Amino acid sequence: METLGFLLDGFAVALTLESLSFAILGAILGTLIGALPGLGPANGVAILIPLAFSLGLSPTSSLILLTSVYAGAMYGGRISSILLNIPGDEPAMMTCLDGYPMAQKGKAAEALAISAIASFIGSFIATIGLIILAPILAKFALKFGPSEYFALFALAFATLGGITGKNQFKTLIAAALGLMIASIGIDISSGVQRYTYDILELFEGVDFIIAIVGLFAISELFFFIEKHAGDGLAKTKVNRLKLSMKDILLVMPTSLRGAILGFISGVLPGAGASLGSFISYTLEKKVIGDKGTFGQGDMRGVAAPEAGNNGAASGALVPMLTLGVPGSGTTAVLLAMLVSLNITPGPMLFQQNADLVWGVIAALFVGNLVLLLLNIPMVGIFVKLLSIPPKYLMPIVTLVAAVGIYSVSHSALDLYFMVGFGVLGYVLRKVQIPLVPVILGMLLGPEMEKSLRHALLLSDGDWAILFNSGLSITLWVVAILGLILPMIVGPLVRAKMQQKTN
Amino acid sequence: MRINDRVFGLLMLILAVIYGVEATKFPEPFGGSESVGPETFPIILSFILGVSAIYMMLRPDPDQAWPVKSMLIELGITALVILLFAWAIEYIGFILSAFAMVSYLCWRMGANPTKSAIIGSVSSVSIFLLFNNVLELALPLGLLEL
Repeated sequence: METLGFLLDGFAVALTLESLSFAILGAILGTLIGALPGLGPANGVAILIPLAFSLGLSPTSSLILLTSVYAGAMYGGRISSILLNIPGDEPAMMTCLDGYPMAQKGKAAEALAISAIASFIGSFIATIGLIILAPILAKFALKFGPSEYFALFALAFATLGGITGKNQFKTLIAAALGLMIASIGIDISSGVQRYTYDILELFEGVDFIIAIVGLFAISELFFFIEKHAGDGLAKTKVNRLKLSMKDILLVMPTSLRGAILGFISGVLPGAGASLGSFISYTLEKKVIGDKGTFGQGDMRGVAAPEAGNNGAASGALVPMLTLGVPGSGTTAVLLAMLVSLNITPGPMLFQQNADLVWGVIAALFVGNLVLLLLNIPMVGIFVKLLSIPPKYLMPIVTLVAAVGIYSVSHSALDLYFMVGFGVLGYVLRKVQIPLVPVILGMLLGPEMEKSLRHALLLSDGDWAILFNSGLSITLWVVAILGLILPMIVGPLVRAKMQQKTN
Repeated sequence: MRINDRVFGLLMLILAVIYGVEATKFPEPFGGSESVGPETFPIILSFILGVSAIYMMLRPDPDQAWPVKSMLIELGITALVILLFAWAIEYIGFILSAFAMVSYLCWRMGANPTKSAIIGSVSSVSIFLLFNNVLELALPLGLLEL
């Protein structure tokens, strides 16, 4: 019941006028960001971090703003899936399967409404799961020593590619690059300069916010120009909404199942939102069987992946908040924000910053409710905004991202770095090296090295300490499995997902 | 063709070697060396990167096409324009440089020149006003300063 008290305190934080307005602002911005093709949640949150800084928001307010953006982006992703048959991000892929056929049959409004309801149920159930599971995991994580943490970080990298990951070695290259960038600067424990080459600006290391904006947003701009994608795409018209209570009841069980499955896959390392929506859809198809018209515009085919996707998004916050180890790109970016606000996620977070954590969890509830209320009546407006062609939008987004970075330090050098990371991001994407592990490496690098040194200091240089507890051995085993399994199972799962989407 | 991965793998291998060798040259920390110094972690990283790079060269994935030469030049100019914008904020002022960058980007993404200029001026002026008046963060006026 301790938890309930904390949660009520959280609501006291989240329901102040200031927090509420940030939640609403974040929800609207997030939906837009998620809906715009090519931007995606990770990008959107990344661009907004420096802005939250320059606004001088308090940690709680910026967290509430950005968690609402995160929740909103998950909602927004489905709009382009349904109307354009183009997923805004990977997890939204499964929503295309039944969402687009519904839109073609002139039921776009129903598809959007059903997906909004399913998204809400997914997030709602998963947030309850988060409330129950996070404190337990945080308590358990207090048992972790430095060697367990080192193993945990290794696990995070090993499983980041996910079960559907294509080339594990490319994930490793990306992670190593990120960790190497993190090692630039003055070493905290010894004071030795590493890879600074006496350049003053490098003494403090490379700012990961700049890296995130460069890698994601600027490289995206390059891709837009290369593909001549400036005009955007033709889309289906939205009809007037005709949704009965019967329809809502029909998708209820589906949404509940999807939410739970999504939450589980969000919490587990290496599964993530893509798998969440995939499993939910596949299971629903099995459960309903021949009674459904899956693939031809069945409402339940829209509800299942959306509930799964949003459930996974909230579930992914569990390892991020309690262990400081994010499971997905967007949670990695949220972690970046916490770190830059001088908040160290991990088990201590629940003790030292209890008001903040519970405020954020309450904000998730409020944000999702706001999203549901916003989305049904306002979907028409979002669709209109979606029709702004990228040729006008991307330049403005680039300007906003640049101003955000410039406003933090007022230095042109930071912007040069941003462009440099943009070029790097473009090249990495061309050779199909994932960008998220680079970011995660930059974020976790200092902590990972610290725990290694701490562990070896305790053991007087004996490397066996890394494997001397049952817990750390388990973590290593999972890490190694996470690295090897995708090479065996990956092609099979991917082939199945491919079959379904074709 | 599987050239991309081989070339990139080779570059990464070179990076791994340089990074590792540089790590061994770190000066000894003040107060004597410890069992794990500042070089330990970087050396581990250089091994991981090196091994993965060799794998990438031996088992390359099929190439993704690179853009044709004219497009590469186009992208190069785009990067240059953003760099110029960054440089110009302080000297020419935010409004003028942002106007130039946004208009150029819109135009290159396929908007007609008039519309590009409209988007450029509206976005640069409104962001300037927003930052300087509402958010109270001074962006330089530059040449427009009277």
